[in-house]
Amino acid sequence: MSAVFDGSGLKAAQSSLSHTPHTALSAQELSQEIKSFINGVDSVQGRKLSVREHARCAVRLLRAVPACRAAVLEHLRGVYDEHVSAFLHHLETEGEGGSGPSTNLEDIIQEVHGVLSEFIRLNPRAWAPLVSTWAVDLLGQLSSKHAGRRGTPHSSSLNELLQLWMSCAATRSLMEAYSQCLAAMLAWCPDACVDALLDTSVQHSPHFDWVVAHIGSAFPGTIISRVLACGLKDFCSHGAKDQSLMGIDKGPKVPKIGSVVGILGHLAVHHSDCIRKELLQMFQESLTPSSPLSPDLSSSSWETSPQLRRAVVPFLLQLAAMSPDLFGAVSSELVELLRPPILLQLHSLLQCLPREELDNMVGLAVHLISQSPTGGARTLRFIADTATPASVIISGPTSSPHEGVREGCDRLLQMLLLHLHKLVYNRSDGVEGAPHTSVMTQPKRKIPFLEELQSYVGELCAETLRLERKRHLWLHQLLCLLSVYGGPSVATEAVCQLLTQARNPEELALAWQLHSTLSLCMVGLIPAAITRSVAQIHTNTLNPRQLRQLLLNLAAAIQSQEEERRGATGPHYTMAMQLGSAVSEHLHDFGPLLLHGDSTVSHAAVQLLSCSPLPRTSSPGHLLLLSRAAATYFFLALRRRQEGLKVGRDAGQAREAVNCSVLLLSRFAGYSPLTLKSILQQLVEGALHKGNADLFGGQTCDISDVPVPSTSALPDLGASLLSINCQFGTTANFSGSVWSVFHAGVIGKGLKVNSPPKVPDPSAASQNIQTLIAVLVQCCSSCGLNGSYAGSRPSSDPGEFPTINAEAAKVVAVTMVENVCPDVSNSELSWPPEEHARTTVERDIHIRRCFEAHPVLFPMLQVVAAGRPALCYCSALLRGLLATLLAHWEASRDASSTDSPWHLQASSLVVSCMGEGQFIPPVLANVHEAFPHLAPFEVRLLLLAVWEYVRGNGPMPQKFTFSSEKGGIFCRDFSRDGDVARYVAPIHSVLHKNIDRLGHLCWRFQL
Amino acid sequence: MGDIRQSLLPRDVLSAAKELLYHLDIYICNMVQSGRQAPQVDTKTLDLVEEFILHVPKDRNAQVRRMSALQELHLLEIMCSCFQEQSRDTVRQLVFSALFSLQGNQADESRMALLGKLVSMAVAVGRIPILECAATWLQRTHRVYCIRLAQVLVDDYCSLVPGSVPTLQNIHSASPRFCCQFITAVTTLYDLSTEELTPPLELLKMIVSWIQEDPRLVLITFLNTPLSNSQPVSSLDVTPLGGLVRWCVKAPLAYRKDKKPVMVNGTGENEQEAGPLFSALHLSVLQVFMLLPNILTEKGLFGRLALLQIESVAALISDLSRLLDQADKHTHTISDESHAASQLALDRLAQALQVAMANRALLCSRGKGSRILNLLQLILSGPVMYYNNIHTPPLSFSPHAAHSPIASHPTLPGHAPHTPMAPHPSPHPQYPAQPFMTGLPFPYRPGH
Repeated sequence: MSAVFDGSGLKAAQSSLSHTPHTALSAQELSQEIKSFINGVDSVQGRKLSVREHARCAVRLLRAVPACRAAVLEHLRGVYDEHVSAFLHHLETEGEGGSGPSTNLEDIIQEVHGVLSEFIRLNPRAWAPLVSTWAVDLLGQLSSKHAGRRGTPHSSSLNELLQLWMSCAATRSLMEAYSQCLAAMLAWCPDACVDALLDTSVQHSPHFDWVVAHIGSAFPGTIISRVLACGLKDFCSHGAKDQSLMGIDKGPKVPKIGSVVGILGHLAVHHSDCIRKELLQMFQESLTPSSPLSPDLSSSSWETSPQLRRAVVPFLLQLAAMSPDLFGAVSSELVELLRPPILLQLHSLLQCLPREELDNMVGLAVHLISQSPTGGARTLRFIADTATPASVIISGPTSSPHEGVREGCDRLLQMLLLHLHKLVYNRSDGVEGAPHTSVMTQPKRKIPFLEELQSYVGELCAETLRLERKRHLWLHQLLCLLSVYGGPSVATEAVCQLLTQARNPEELALAWQLHSTLSLCMVGLIPAAITRSVAQIHTNTLNPRQLRQLLLNLAAAIQSQEEERRGATGPHYTMAMQLGSAVSEHLHDFGPLLLHGDSTVSHAAVQLLSCSPLPRTSSPGHLLLLSRAAATYFFLALRRRQEGLKVGRDAGQAREAVNCSVLLLSRFAGYSPLTLKSILQQLVEGALHKGNADLFGGQTCDISDVPVPSTSALPDLGASLLSINCQFGTTANFSGSVWSVFHAGVIGKGLKVNSPPKVPDPSAASQNIQTLIAVLVQCCSSCGLNGSYAGSRPSSDPGEFPTINAEAAKVVAVTMVENVCPDVSNSELSWPPEEHARTTVERDIHIRRCFEAHPVLFPMLQVVAAGRPALCYCSALLRGLLATLLAHWEASRDASSTDSPWHLQASSLVVSCMGEGQFIPPVLANVHEAFPHLAPFEVRLLLLAVWEYVRGNGPMPQKFTFSSEKGGIFCRDFSRDGDVARYVAPIHSVLHKNIDRLGHLCWRFQL
Repeated sequence: MGDIRQSLLPRDVLSAAKELLYHLDIYICNMVQSGRQAPQVDTKTLDLVEEFILHVPKDRNAQVRRMSALQELHLLEIMCSCFQEQSRDTVRQLVFSALFSLQGNQADESRMALLGKLVSMAVAVGRIPILECAATWLQRTHRVYCIRLAQVLVDDYCSLVPGSVPTLQNIHSASPRFCCQFITAVTTLYDLSTEELTPPLELLKMIVSWIQEDPRLVLITFLNTPLSNSQPVSSLDVTPLGGLVRWCVKAPLAYRKDKKPVMVNGTGENEQEAGPLFSALHLSVLQVFMLLPNILTEKGLFGRLALLQIESVAALISDLSRLLDQADKHTHTISDESHAASQLALDRLAQALQVAMANRALLCSRGKGSRILNLLQLILSGPVMYYNNIHTPPLSFSPHAAHSPIASHPTLPGHAPHTPMAPHPSPHPQYPAQPFMTGLPFPYRPGH
């Protein structure tokens, strides 16, 4: 020990000298004191000294006789112990109403503390090491000794312990003394005091923790760095070679690291920032190449020794492995820190380590990563980024340092995957057999890394789907592990994500791969995934692009199933099957997507729906919904196609959409009578709907009796329905009276100007009509009523005109009637005399206008006619039409019938339809062939003949008989009806009159 | 004596030690009474002491018995009374040497520790017999151990326990012999070469007050020792005069050196306090020199015994020259202060040498005197590496001739042979080798 020239110390010494009363003990007295102290007996009076007196004596000796200090300090141990005992006893008996502590030594403790702290203050170099060692040792001893007492809390409850001990005067005073020493010593020999602390901590491990915690929180910065430095030295001297992989069960071999971890663990609660900073700094400094020429100011001893520097990384790993807290504190920022230059340094540093040590380190690192509760995703991304080769071109024969880093990461990653694999599949080792269920049901050991990654499944999938070299293999493997680990929910999500994110068959194949791996250990994955997707659709969490992709992927999957079915049974077959059935279960959920605002989505939806199998059973509500959606989509598709044609883009897609929707409709129609009916209704209604009318060359004219509110197009005539209504008062419906005025115009204002006819593209209209009729025909002929279904039947015999199903045709007919003329009841099947038509002029005009406005009605009528006897239900329409035509021809003063082309065409069509629908015998039906060659009144005559016949032989459905030999259609036997000849007479006379022009037609009217 | 081992073994540590002390006392009493010539304690007894008092394990596998600090204190107390009660000086000395004379084995460490505590305690409780014995011990023992003992005392009384200096001060009256030896040891210990080896101010004050009070104190050992050639090798000097001269001469430079690095609180104050003390000390030393002729004549040694060895003077001179050199180097601009300090040091050296020579404390034969002069010249003019050449003096000395560095002295500053003292054109060849004369103004360091 050396003396220090310390002026303040001297002065203080002098001042303390001046006011210390009992310095001037004579040698004789001192000798007496020593005797008393040794024997515990007052050497003058010969009586035994009390504890208090004894302690006072000791303090006096401490002040006066330097040679006694060891003995005095030893004696004081006893005094402190006594006090602690008394204190605890007091605590224990407090509840039982015991009196205060019998020996209150607190004042003595205070006195001792005062003396010691004065000494330390005056001469820290001499006293601080002495007192600190003593205090720490005594603290350790006290806390160990009294740990088991009833009054002391368990050593695990650090805070209570701290509270207890700090409320005890003895321990508090020791603690303060130690703090004082430490504060003094930090300036010149910090390692020594921390060493002592660590040693004691090791010795009295759990009970001493409160001391360390307290000291640590008093001197966080220094303690942390010192503790680390000490730990590192110790670690190094014990040799990192014999570290086992896990390093946890090596307790006795590495004594200090345990307490280092313990201490830092305590400090981590309040000073995690500080610890993190220190650890990271340690790491960084260990990497920066040592520069002996410019010693860093902050450098402590370890940085100068290369051996210690090399040991830093293993040491830190070891620390992290032993304390999750520490690891958590560091891990997040460590990844940020590992920039390429740092990595290079690390690489060069690690290169010189022996092989098995490196292996150990990798093992440790893998263990850490798999146990890290947070930041796993970032770590993974980092490792994968680093491990992925930068380019396809390998960087030459000599591997660059970057290549070394990359290989290192590659290896690390593979080890990680292997480790995780082991962890995941060994979790349920305890249960033999039944591996499929055990994975699901066993209480699982947590793997924090995977736990965390579970929330990153989406990102992982996205990364995987990028299909980068190597990387997607790793990630895919990881995804598998994750799915197995996380159970069905994660697996479902993964599959879902893959299905949503895959953009081409190769990417989609990853989903199949994943499924084939997972299907070994879990069932019901595909249905769950579909359910999940549907849920996502419902919650609207997918954006249109994703949604479209999902639908397309599903469609592709199902289509692949169809191909597989034809070919060999592939590995995906079962999966595609499952997928198909799962989708079919949710068809009604996909249905509404047909009407999705985004055309691509609806297109994808129709693709999916058109190829997906139909469910075995389904509720009518769903079916109606679906059929409505399908029909609506059909019209949308038509419109899109038309627009596409106009603009000249997306034509192919639009055509495909139409085709798909046609297919969909026909398949639906074939599914069940209900759907058939519904679809037909939808189609007819849709075709006549004013929104769609223009598609089929029709005018926007309401079918109902209310006049077209085309005020924008027409000049305002000053007529107001309201004012007229006011004039007339609230009278009943004036059907056929005042309303008629409005058909032709307002009285007094002249004829109503016809709305300027829109000029829809006739070719497009006819194409649309064609399509619609084709759909109708397909639907009607798909034998849905029999419940049998054959998806590709309509196209199987293209040459043959398909048989229209009677029921289906009836549906069409009824729907037509309802839409064209709602106030006709279905029972008006029989025809009145022609004159009787005057009563229904209003209605007839309406019907005619309808037909005029909707050219599509005639083709529909033809379809109906083909489905005998369905046309019967259209009697009202035919009648109205015929009546107006008769009126027209009667009134017409033109020379030839061809002067009113629409009427001519309508007449021909009506008659031909009636012929087709077997309202009239073929002889009569053929009259329309002659129409173009006749004068209007002659046409009227002929039509009248037709009317007469129909009136005479009412077209009742019951007159039709089912004849299976004619191909399963209904036929009417005209021979049962009355003689045709009298109805043919006008025809013949007209023929005769115009024989010069109609000669070639004569054979058509032979009876 | 050796046969009591068996009876000691089963006893506990303390009582065994007590028993052994008791037996040792009786044994030595008997030995002295038997009146043999040069009573010698045999090895067996020494072994017993080592085993039962110093607790050095006899063999490897034996369990080490340790005393607790309390027991040790008890033992010390017993020893104190033991020595106190023994009336015969011879017996005391024999017992003390049986216990504490160094054997050059592994027990010496614990021996020294115990001795330190014992002496420290004896100082505290004023056990004169022990101090006397310790004084003898200090005379006979190698100086390294003496220094250690002094160090223990200084630590205990000057630094560890504040306010205990007066206790140490008392040894002057209690045992002047011990006090004298203590001063010698302390001056040997603190040679002012480093900061650590600078005497604490309290110690300095104490020593100054002692010598001021009674200048003969420093000569007590010399006076009480029969002059013989039995002085052990490397023991302490007979008087602390050499050390004291060194203190006085080096102090101005050493303390200034302290100040220059960023010394914290109150070094200047210390210096201020220490300066007058050293002056007083210097005066006292000179006074002691003045006393010498009578004493030496009394003893019939006047002119025959050099109390100030020429070797130590030479070492001092070389140290000094080095210090001056450093001072020059460190202060590029020579401040008045440092100038004054250097001058003070040289003044003191000159005075001390002059007085010592005059009083025949420093014996200079004709040749030797000129050598001293040479040395002094060197101080003033150039690099120093010559004191070894004292015995083979160069006829006409030139610093340029001394190109071969003398490696035998470790403290030799390793600067180049010709570190130029540029400002003055090396004047030494011109100086005539005249004998040193008192009262002559000394023309040193021209140009400054």
